[in-house]
Amino acid sequence: MLLSLSWLREFTPYEGTAEQLGDRLTMLGLELEDILHPYEAIRSIVVGHVLTCEAHPQSDHLHVCKVDVGQNEPLDIVCGAPNVAQGQKVPVALVGTVMPDGMVIKKAKLRGALSMGMICSERELGLTEDHSGIMVLPDTFIVGQSLIDQLDLDREVLDISVTPNRADCLSVLGLARETAHAFALPFSIPERPFHEDSAAPERIVPIDIQAPESCWLYAGRIVSGVKIGPSPMRIRHRLHAVGVRPISNIVDVTNYILFECGQPLHSFDLDKLEGGRIVVRHGRPGEKFTTLDGQERLLTANDLCICDAGRVVALAGVMGGLNTEITDASTNVFLESAVFRPATIRRTSRRLGLSSEASYRFERGIDQQASRWALDRACAMMAAMSGGHVQRGLSCSEPHPFVPVRIPFRPSRVDALLGEHVTPEFDEKTLTGLGCPVEKGEDAWVVTQPSWRPDLTREADLIEEVGRMYGLDTIAPVLPAVAQTLDCASAPESRFAFWSRIKRWGAGLGLNEVVNYSFVGHKDLDRLGLPQQGRISIMNPLSAEQDVLRTVLAPGLLHDLRNNLAQGAQGLRLFELANVFEADAVSETTARETGMLGILLYGSRYDTAWPQAAGDMEYADLKGVVEHLLRFLHLAASEYTTCEEHTFLQPCVCVRAQGRDVGVMGRVKPAVADVYLARKDVWLAELNLETLRELHDVAVVRFAQLPVYPPVRRDITIAAGCGLKVADIEAHVRDLHLPLLEDVTLVDCYIPQQTSDGDSVRNLTFRLTFRHQERTLKDAEVDKMREKVAESLQKVLKVTV
Amino acid sequence: MLSISREVRSLCCVSIPFPATAAVRGSGNIVMDLIAALEELVHELENGLSHASSLEELEVLRVNMLGRKGRIAGIMSALPALDPSERPAVGQKANSVKERCNALFDARKNALERAREAAAMQSFDATVPGRAPWSGTLHPDTLVMEDICRIFQGLGFDVASGPEVEIDHYNFEALNMPPEHPARDMQDTLYITDTVLMRTHTSPVQVRTMLARKPPVAVVVPGKVYRRDSDLTHTPMFHQIEGLMVGDGITMAHLRGTLTAFVRAVFGAGTSVRFRPSFFPFTEPSAEVDISCCMCGGKGHVNGAPCRVCKTTGWVEILGCGMVDPAVFEAVDYPADVSGFAFGMGVERVAMLKYGIGDLRMFFENDVRFLGQFAG
Repeated sequence: MLLSLSWLREFTPYEGTAEQLGDRLTMLGLELEDILHPYEAIRSIVVGHVLTCEAHPQSDHLHVCKVDVGQNEPLDIVCGAPNVAQGQKVPVALVGTVMPDGMVIKKAKLRGALSMGMICSERELGLTEDHSGIMVLPDTFIVGQSLIDQLDLDREVLDISVTPNRADCLSVLGLARETAHAFALPFSIPERPFHEDSAAPERIVPIDIQAPESCWLYAGRIVSGVKIGPSPMRIRHRLHAVGVRPISNIVDVTNYILFECGQPLHSFDLDKLEGGRIVVRHGRPGEKFTTLDGQERLLTANDLCICDAGRVVALAGVMGGLNTEITDASTNVFLESAVFRPATIRRTSRRLGLSSEASYRFERGIDQQASRWALDRACAMMAAMSGGHVQRGLSCSEPHPFVPVRIPFRPSRVDALLGEHVTPEFDEKTLTGLGCPVEKGEDAWVVTQPSWRPDLTREADLIEEVGRMYGLDTIAPVLPAVAQTLDCASAPESRFAFWSRIKRWGAGLGLNEVVNYSFVGHKDLDRLGLPQQGRISIMNPLSAEQDVLRTVLAPGLLHDLRNNLAQGAQGLRLFELANVFEADAVSETTARETGMLGILLYGSRYDTAWPQAAGDMEYADLKGVVEHLLRFLHLAASEYTTCEEHTFLQPCVCVRAQGRDVGVMGRVKPAVADVYLARKDVWLAELNLETLRELHDVAVVRFAQLPVYPPVRRDITIAAGCGLKVADIEAHVRDLHLPLLEDVTLVDCYIPQQTSDGDSVRNLTFRLTFRHQERTLKDAEVDKMREKVAESLQKVLKVTV
Repeated sequence: MLSISREVRSLCCVSIPFPATAAVRGSGNIVMDLIAALEELVHELENGLSHASSLEELEVLRVNMLGRKGRIAGIMSALPALDPSERPAVGQKANSVKERCNALFDARKNALERAREAAAMQSFDATVPGRAPWSGTLHPDTLVMEDICRIFQGLGFDVASGPEVEIDHYNFEALNMPPEHPARDMQDTLYITDTVLMRTHTSPVQVRTMLARKPPVAVVVPGKVYRRDSDLTHTPMFHQIEGLMVGDGITMAHLRGTLTAFVRAVFGAGTSVRFRPSFFPFTEPSAEVDISCCMCGGKGHVNGAPCRVCKTTGWVEILGCGMVDPAVFEAVDYPADVSGFAFGMGVERVAMLKYGIGDLRMFFENDVRFLGQFAG
């Protein structure tokens, strides 16, 4: 809401500065966003008097003028405007002035004639769009004085952010009322003389409200014999100062009153209203209507329409129609002042994407008691500005009169909610000051809602008013004592705490945490070959890149990969904890949200070169990270088998822990990785945090007694064909159930040059660890056991030892 | 080196062996000769030591002089041939010469060892790069979110979470925002269907918590939220932390106490807090909380230039709060006379103020050069 300080002062004698007012209003809940100085750019323009004006001898349209600007000598100024004439008072830009459009006025010679300045049009001054000629000022203006002072322009405009509950503050009047109360100043409304044309007969426009639940009040008056033209300078400049384009003496009045009183008005050309009557009804499906902006709109039964005898003439509260628009030829005006149900207006305005100053106010609530008063005020102004007459008779229908709410109010509840003792005297003073009649009782009072405060209906609303005026900032802070129940004490670790620990694990291990948007584009998921089924689409996405909720973390991580490679990264180790989303008919929200841990490894293993060995990350790096996590969570017995869970991974390895699937990992297929600019292998893991948490919650950590006797180790190297997995060999050895065999681990893997017949083998060295719990083992018995293992491997797995 | 010195020491303790030669000669001249020879050895040794430039040369010298078959031992072998009355004088002399020699050796040896170590230190370069292990980092959102939750947990709050895909009822209606309420304009919404949406704030978890638990309740809810908004200062996804406390006699003063404690914990004890009346559909009274600008210290200017963070006001908005609206209690079937407060803040906003980050979009670009600046 743009509030002109000089406009405000018409209602309350506020003498302070704009800054002080802004600060005070801010602390009352009406936040100052900015202070604008709309006419700052023309501060140096002065009033001049055209002493002589002669045609330029070398030109058919230029004039050579002598202009008195209050200096010793009059200035020679060449002017091209058709309307310049001797004796006029005009705005003059002197040499050196910077105009609002950035042009600098210089001493110039125009076809041989010297020009020492410029006589300005309204557009050149940034006042209005008028560029038909120079601006001619009233004779009373003093030569040499500043133009903005002489025009008494609105120099300071406060931009105030008004919260949705304060409909009353969307007007100068409302903000003046608030200001007067805040600074204990009188508040009064200057009267506009209002004369009905008593000579003529009463003229009423019959009003038929067929949708009384949506149209609470419809009133109107006829102003006849108007002559359409520009509004007086003061009105135009004031509207301009608050960002409204002046149009005509009729439309400007409706806008002026809207800003001043908060009541949106609409003016119809009465002669175009078929049947000279108004019908208020809902739209009919399929009905079409062309609004003032020339757009044809398709109406629905939810829209409220203002109609004449035959057709729609306005979309109630949102925008008028072309068919009854005021034009230069209009002579009789029907001025509407109405109150509509906020939700109805909002629905139409949102559906059509048409938000206007009027709809904005209707959506928030109008002071219905003041509606007719605002109409009269507008009529008086319109008649005065257009030479018309206000016809006798008020056309009005009010199916839903305003009934103020009588609110029970307990002063003790103020203290109970604010935590500070506020005297009943302060409560009373505040509420009556805000316009609420107070009926005091012993403990409970009755406070009556003012018509301009639709937001005050409950005790809590009144307490907020008292708090606001008391100053929320003055309440002494107290730390509350939090009552905890025993149930809380034994509650399992929260999801947040578990995720938090995993994040600490990731960072501690040396991974970088990333956070990506939950939405991606359908095409990102398509690229990864993920199923269409089960995806959750956004109905109104901001862009096609964000039109579906991710079903895997991969797209985000790959996106980060691309971003970082573009910045020259050589190696990346990223991780992310976030939900993935899938449609789930059983869920209350229609979605199943699963927490996932995504890990991406790419490129150089180390950020630094020497003394770190050079090399790129490979499967073992990723698997090492995953195994580390499972150990961290006390999950034993992990299994790794190739699978085809995700088609964008090859190989794709399924990770199982304690018999349950916990996720997949693998290498992103080069064709996919290419799209993300990867030149090396991209290793990716996605682990299900819900499953990991469940497994971890039941994992029991028990201390194992430390062995007393030393272990004895024996290595065994075998040449295994490629089909034989390390895990199979280890399992075979374990399955021999040698009582003293404590552990079997691969300690070396060597792949010799391929043999000529294409058989590739791996030389695998396993370390067998033997230990006896009660004595030190002898070499001979250990050798015997190693021999047993070797024999079995040769015999069963057909490997060479 | 250790082995050498051990040998030197053992030599000193060796008892004088029984005489093998010169048994018959026994005269004072011989005694004088022996003593002179011993003294001469000291000079010889001093001379030799001063020429020895390495520990290896020193060892040769030591073996030659003090070894089992060395010169001193050689002289000592003449001892048995002497008259028993003369032996002590020669013996004593021999011992003192031996001690002297050992001392000379040790001194020289220490000096050479020090020189060798000093030489080794010469080539040591403390500035070579370390063998850096991976260095991991947490996202600034995580750091700030965990920080904030820790502070509130310290004040007795539990941490709760809820779904990111929400139904209209929990996100709006139960929070006193019926359909077509103008306050819905404050939160542009991403919809899944007409009644299912991406939560626009963490407040629906308030409702879910109150439906699940009777008062007293004290929870904070960190999480992702979504708005249909994207420009320089808005991203369609960001993080919020919601707080809710309901119980007997909870007041605005408690809200002020709690939030003041929080602000001081995050931004320092010197931070001022300002409560400014505002409007939220689910709280009444409502307030916005400003803190003194951490960039300019609340002065509005930095080195004479207008502060970019607070735009010269000296205050920056950090969160919204208020006393829970009676309509919300009604929606969750809480008794009418219960009271409580709620607050909500943007995590990125806090992080931007705390770390001085100027551009919100950087949070979701995940440039490792950005991520690496906040560490653990």
